[in-house]
Amino acid sequence: MFDNREQLIGISVQGTIVSPEYPPLPASPYLIGADGTPQLLPSQGGIVYNVRVGDSAFGWLADMVQPGVSIRASAESANQALNVLSCIGNEAIVVSGEAAGLRGTVIGKSGRFAEHVIVDFPADVLEQLAIDDKILVRAYGRSLALTDYPEVVLRSISPRLLDSLEIEANGSDGVAVPVVAEVPAFLIGAGSGLMTESGCIQIQTDHPGALTEHGLDELRLGDVVAVRDYDSRWGNGYLKDAVTVGIVGHGDSPRAGYGPGLTVVMASTANRIQPVLRSGRNIAELLSLRETAEAVA
Amino acid sequence: MLRTNAGSLVEVAVHGEVWPPSAARDPYKATSEGLAAVTLGMAGICFQNRVGDPAFGWEADHLEPGVSIRNRDDGAEHALHYLACIGNEAVVTSGLNKGARGTVTGEHAHVMVDFPPDSIELLAIGDKVQIKAYGTGLKLLDHPTVQLHKCSPALLDALELVTLPDGRLQVPIVAEIPSHLMGSGAELMADYVDQDFMTGDRAEMARLGLDRLRLGDVVAVRNQDHTWGRGYYEDAITIGLIIHGDSAWTGHGPGVLDLMSSRQPAIVTTVDPQANIAWRLGLRDLSTEAIREPGAVSSYAGIVDAAR
Repeated sequence: MFDNREQLIGISVQGTIVSPEYPPLPASPYLIGADGTPQLLPSQGGIVYNVRVGDSAFGWLADMVQPGVSIRASAESANQALNVLSCIGNEAIVVSGEAAGLRGTVIGKSGRFAEHVIVDFPADVLEQLAIDDKILVRAYGRSLALTDYPEVVLRSISPRLLDSLEIEANGSDGVAVPVVAEVPAFLIGAGSGLMTESGCIQIQTDHPGALTEHGLDELRLGDVVAVRDYDSRWGNGYLKDAVTVGIVGHGDSPRAGYGPGLTVVMASTANRIQPVLRSGRNIAELLSLRETAEAVA
Repeated sequence: MLRTNAGSLVEVAVHGEVWPPSAARDPYKATSEGLAAVTLGMAGICFQNRVGDPAFGWEADHLEPGVSIRNRDDGAEHALHYLACIGNEAVVTSGLNKGARGTVTGEHAHVMVDFPPDSIELLAIGDKVQIKAYGTGLKLLDHPTVQLHKCSPALLDALELVTLPDGRLQVPIVAEIPSHLMGSGAELMADYVDQDFMTGDRAEMARLGLDRLRLGDVVAVRNQDHTWGRGYYEDAITIGLIIHGDSAWTGHGPGVLDLMSSRQPAIVTTVDPQANIAWRLGLRDLSTEAIREPGAVSSYAGIVDAAR
């Protein structure tokens, strides 16, 4: 399968490791669960020591846990660049502090819910990182396109990730994409109507029956997932026979309309993307971020 | 008449000023078909578009009918958003139109106030509008699982609600919106602004007849629990109000402002094409006024009703 990667430029974007944040007083630190219960949970951001891509997206006492490290640029416009240009699979390099020179990998984006880019580092690097450390991302992949399938758009996907997804031509008008699960459009909540390029869409989990019924209750951070009847080419929203492919970037949430977030990597209309169910499609393995035997949490 | 706790509510003044439309230096946005569009429709004084008009077919995005107000102070702005209720009385407190009275008909990026046409001719951007906020905390005493949002007692009285013999609440609606079409706004709590229903699939709009909705129509959304936040929940039901117009952006469309919601199947609906606040609150009169019929105008920003 041909693409235009030789036309892409690699460019630096940079952020710093963000602290978890709560609205200042007099605001309450509680989030309101779907059933109305106030809850105080770790928010997005910071260095997360014990949740890594490959681990379960469920069962953590945290709101939308972002595994590894969350980064943001302090100037809004620079942060927008960090968010729209970073691609999953891009190399991230620590450029200040104790861990300067050590490397990690971009694994997701939080979108409007925090405007963070999520970066995975090996456990020994994580130990040396501090909040405010600078992380440079070698952004490479924005505008990547499949030469023979112009109607299949790629979003936030590095050539490295594209190569690992094992996408196959499926006749002249479509591509087959191996995924661990298919999400029906009605289960996408927060993220609809928001930006594709820097955003994420969330699989809402308030009604547990629907989740189990569609085999979504065992999703892992980093899983490759398809959404049926959903168009994420220019924003995110319902469209019959459109298909969106995303990577699970953050964990579950007790809020109504929220749940594991998908960073969008591919989208098309008219069933030009054909999801093929295959177990083990997770970027922890596809990008060799973790040993297979290790990813068992 | 339904039993409520209206006698315990506090009526309080909140205010804003008529807010100008604004645009970025680079105003283009991508439509759902990937075309660039410069959009207008939010804020300002809409001289010709009122609640009761079609929600579709205007060359505008997120059309906010009537007069849009906002407060410059962040805290006062949030008080305006959270305390102003649909059906509350508004009065102009400065400028050439001082003393003119209107009615709150929606809450989006701005709080929308409807005024009779002759009283907005002299209204200016920056004029102050004060609202007698009355309705926050309102409860239906015989329907404890039904949470109300932004309902004034006047609106409740006008909706022609009935308690059925089996104890459920019957609500007249114009149409039902399926859960899978609920889009932008899922990320927000149910007491804050609205949630758009997604209109990018024009064939689906035509199939369901949703492209004939009017601003001010009362609608139902099944399997959506908007008691606290906004999300899918089997057998839950939400009643909403169409407050702003259609959009060409993916995941957007006319705004559904939450009026009531229950996690249980505690609300039943009956279809009544007259379930629109423009007539139910006596703001407009279909029998004497020439009001545009839905469907009389066609496209917006390249989104044509190709499916028709």
